[in-house]
Amino acid sequence: MAASVRTFVRSLSRKNAGFSAVLRLSDCRWFSGKAEERSTHFGFETVSETEKASKVYKVFENVAQKYDVMNDAMSLGIHRLWKDALLHVMHPQPGARLLDVAGGTGDIAFRFLEYVRSQQERQQRRAVLLGQTPSWQDVSDRYPDGGGAPESAVVVCDINKEMLKVGRQRADSRGVTTGLSWVVGDAEELPFNDDQFDLYTIAFGIRNVTHIDQALKEALRVLKPGGRFLCLEFSKVTNPVLERLYDVYSFQVIPVLGEVIAGDWKSYQYLVESIRKFPDQEEFKGLMEDSGFFCVQYFNLTGGVVALHSGFKL
Amino acid sequence: MFKDVLVRFALGTARVYRHVSRSPWQQTPAASRVTVRSFTAVKDEVPPPFDSSLLEILVCPLSKKPLRYNPDTNELINEELGIAYPIIDGIPNMIPQDARLIGKDEPQTPAQ
Repeated sequence: MAASVRTFVRSLSRKNAGFSAVLRLSDCRWFSGKAEERSTHFGFETVSETEKASKVYKVFENVAQKYDVMNDAMSLGIHRLWKDALLHVMHPQPGARLLDVAGGTGDIAFRFLEYVRSQQERQQRRAVLLGQTPSWQDVSDRYPDGGGAPESAVVVCDINKEMLKVGRQRADSRGVTTGLSWVVGDAEELPFNDDQFDLYTIAFGIRNVTHIDQALKEALRVLKPGGRFLCLEFSKVTNPVLERLYDVYSFQVIPVLGEVIAGDWKSYQYLVESIRKFPDQEEFKGLMEDSGFFCVQYFNLTGGVVALHSGFKL
Repeated sequence: MFKDVLVRFALGTARVYRHVSRSPWQQTPAASRVTVRSFTAVKDEVPPPFDSSLLEILVCPLSKKPLRYNPDTNELINEELGIAYPIIDGIPNMIPQDARLIGKDEPQTPAQ
């Protein structure tokens, strides 16, 4: 109840500028801290929370067209392995429903759909091997043409329209039409009902969210009981030697690449700074546990450059 | 399919409308940006079947109540709070700041 009141008040204050002064005062009285005047970090800068959201939006609006190219260039293609690892850990079965938040260009969504389809084929082959040869009717029923009820589906939610547009273009060019939906939404205020999704992923997106705990709470809300939360994010490198190399690479090479390929130094400067400001593996695990996830564990990939956190809603 | 694309480029929007009369989906050129979407046979209209499947999952991010799809203005409406979320290019925009406030002019029968 309090949460809905808070969000309603926040929405009103956002919509009507004149109103907001009054509401901000009442905000102080009801809740600890003045929401709009609290400061947070934008990379190494300190900005107000509202400013951070719009600045982050602008960053991704600028980089949207070149996002995938830059990912390949900056990570030397390794980001594909990280995302494949996420899918492997996720191990989705046919019929699973995934919500991919901050999923902009759709990398995780496409991989999910491919994985699920290959799982389906695998199951069918196994059924054939065991002598349970399905009739042609059964086979055609199981194929996702036009969608039956227990159909795997992925909803890609992102706060940035430009990223989603790029994602949709990629879907069109790959010929992926069914099982994929696109929604513009805020990770801190998801436009979905409770207990909707089997899986929730946020890959390289959560460090851009202004209130991480709010995003985690929303994730818990929309997951079905037994649902899994998976988060891929840049984290603290464990090996000190690798850490030095990684720092040099991040601050000397990546913004230059950003300038050369995408024509945007500042956005990539923000990107590498925001990685440094993000909590490390253990801290994020603590955040997840505080939000109510169980069996929280993390896997370090590439020596801690990227951490894959997983938690369940039980 | 590519012939359609070339034809579309060559003849512009007039061709779009003529093409639409053959297609089963209605054309609502609300914010028609013809630029990037030309590689699909279907343009920026919202095909109703697609939207209705999303409608089952989507709720208002503020009140978490279900929404009503308004095909004329191509919006998702939350009557209780009096806000309408636009659907641009077939993608519903569920950010409260981008939603439009609608006045309580038409007295609807209460949903509850």
